[in-house]
Amino acid sequence: MSLPSFIKSNATGIDYAALRALVVDDYPGIRSALRLTLANFGVTKVQLVANAAEAIFQIRNKSFDFILCDFNLGDGRDGQQLLEELRHSNLITLETVFMMVTAESFYEKVVATAELAPDDYMIKPFSAEMLRGRLEGILLRKRAFKAVYQNFLAHDLESAMTACDALIRNEPKYLVDALRFKGELLVTLGRFEEAEALYQQVITLRAVPWARLGLARSLHLQKKDEAAEAELRDVLEKSPEMVAAYDLLSDVCLSKNDTAGAQGALEQGVSISSKTVRRQQKLGEMAHANGDLETARTAFSNALDKGRHSIFITPADVGNLCRVQLEQGDREAAETTLKKNKNTLQSSPEGKLVAAVTHGMVHTRAGKLQEAEKMLDAATELRAAGTRGDAQMMLDMAGVCMASGRFDEADGIVAEVAKNAHDSEALLSKARRIYEEAGRTEAGTGVLASATSGVRKLNNEGVVLAQRGDFKTAIEKLAIACNEAPFNPRIMMNAAWVILKYIDQAGMDDTLIATARSHLAEAERQAPGHARISGLRLQLKDVETRYGVQRTHPQ
Amino acid sequence: MTFDGTDFYAALIHELKNSLGLLSMTIDSIPMRGDAVHDEAVDSSRLLCQEVVDRLQQALLVYKAANQPIRPRIDAYSPHDLIDALKARAVFLARGRLHVEAELASDIPAFWFFDRDLIEMAMINAIQNSLAHARSSIRIEASLVEASLALSVRDDSAGYPPHILANVATNTPCHASGTGLGLQFSRLIAQSHDNKNRTGELRLHNDQGAVFCLLLP
Repeated sequence: MSLPSFIKSNATGIDYAALRALVVDDYPGIRSALRLTLANFGVTKVQLVANAAEAIFQIRNKSFDFILCDFNLGDGRDGQQLLEELRHSNLITLETVFMMVTAESFYEKVVATAELAPDDYMIKPFSAEMLRGRLEGILLRKRAFKAVYQNFLAHDLESAMTACDALIRNEPKYLVDALRFKGELLVTLGRFEEAEALYQQVITLRAVPWARLGLARSLHLQKKDEAAEAELRDVLEKSPEMVAAYDLLSDVCLSKNDTAGAQGALEQGVSISSKTVRRQQKLGEMAHANGDLETARTAFSNALDKGRHSIFITPADVGNLCRVQLEQGDREAAETTLKKNKNTLQSSPEGKLVAAVTHGMVHTRAGKLQEAEKMLDAATELRAAGTRGDAQMMLDMAGVCMASGRFDEADGIVAEVAKNAHDSEALLSKARRIYEEAGRTEAGTGVLASATSGVRKLNNEGVVLAQRGDFKTAIEKLAIACNEAPFNPRIMMNAAWVILKYIDQAGMDDTLIATARSHLAEAERQAPGHARISGLRLQLKDVETRYGVQRTHPQ
Repeated sequence: MTFDGTDFYAALIHELKNSLGLLSMTIDSIPMRGDAVHDEAVDSSRLLCQEVVDRLQQALLVYKAANQPIRPRIDAYSPHDLIDALKARAVFLARGRLHVEAELASDIPAFWFFDRDLIEMAMINAIQNSLAHARSSIRIEASLVEASLALSVRDDSAGYPPHILANVATNTPCHASGTGLGLQFSRLIAQSHDNKNRTGELRLHNDQGAVFCLLLP
């Protein structure tokens, strides 16, 4: 088939012959037809795959410039899940073009942030000219954003912002795109007031939903939660299908201590889009904390169901479902869950720990104490070798220890959890309940007090010393605290903060800056997305830039 | 076994879209022979296929938007890119049988706020109509009219029949099939675009042929 010369004309200088394309579609006829369509305008390096698993395999093994993916991929992951995994695992960068093919214009295409959205959508059926037009538009935009992306990928957010400003001044066509990207940079850098002003500026042009969502997020991050909630409720009235707004609304409610509101928002989000594993997980945790076991159970089991093969599923998800089932008194269901997920759990030490502890709980509740002991032995061995579960799971383990009369071990585990979560009332009260149930209320009060007071004291002393300007002694205090509580995000953030203050005053110290870096990484692991982390990252970056620290980044 | 109508419907639509996509790509791949009997048959199949695509999209719009207003997804898009894409599609559908021109007024801004998918749907429907009725050429235009973006399709046909002009001008729902139905969707799409208390409009008139115009505030 030959296209009219108008379509073939290529004044933009895009070399389609060099473009490496990957087509993901579950329908063989469509795959080969798309190969022909792409060949029409010169794209001949084309790989065809049928599903997300094959796509990930191909992308791990070679680079692609352009991925054309159907949203509906039959069984298994859909196109959106594939995209989220690719971005999450850094398998594709901002330079890769990802286009989603959808059957209709009404699917859940309003996604949270730019990073979770594809570059564009094609509505089926589409013609070669339509595809070429859209692709060319994206390629030209990516060319214009080249400096922005390169600085972003090198973690040089300041320069990325400068590059955005240049686009805002000189490229009216990309003004709105550049503003959008800059807004995300400002939020990442913790410059929430500036982000708020930027989103207001976009809204003056037109109140597009993503700008209103950005505004609400900037308000929330400045703790202006009433204003954020009002904005979100209004956005949702006009665009009730905007699932990302429910996620943010849930965070806003939570920071106002409105746990019922937070759960309600997540439930609405789930009712529109049930496939997102992380939303189901969050709903499960929220409902569990609210004592709504039925909702928690449904959400956790949905997370496991929808997340089959998903990288967002960890052994903790199996543990979460079993915990709820046991709390409902449904031992049989917990056993079934363990049986169903046996292979996954046996494939990692964390999984083995979840399996051992949960089996231990099942046996304890069935009164089979000998079998519970056996499971506990296995768990103890894993823990001695350094394996840890999340705080909930470790408290479960302490509960089984307690039921088996292993009080010292139980106290040790509880102390460890408490040190690392000295300011988490939810976990501390769960620990207290375990002691109450075992009739050791007083012993529990003692364990918790001594575990938290040591860490709390060191932390407070460190902070006070730093406020007085004695950073050196503050670093020493907090270093001891870090040793005591190596997974405590607040301690980690404070320790990093004090080190950066010290270097600011006394000059560069290679060992200390490396410590600050690893503290921040640990804080991010324990409390992903914590509002303080981005600000600390910015300070770290600033110190590194001033002292000319060369860092090599992965990729 | 329970029967989930919604899932079944979704699966059917998925299949239908795939088949229709394949059909359209297959027709697009039939080479021209320079033999009128063959080429005209291929041309009409292509136009008919595009019509089925249009109708299916409209059917989905009705299904989703039943008893509620169309909710456009407004964002910033380049009117230049839109006109380029529409021209490319029109040239392809015309296959050299008709002349296709496109023109952007010099004061068109670099971006405008609209729902690109809905506007493309309405404009391709208009282009398709013009291609079916034009004598020799059609023209796609973008300009600024009353501070709105005006997107037009002009042809050199005999023009719209009076009852259609009257229906659209008075906002009367028309239950006719074919042309009338497509226009009614275009009107709904235009009206779903609003900005600062101004609402989008569909305007039709005859000026040496039919002139279809969407006004987006």
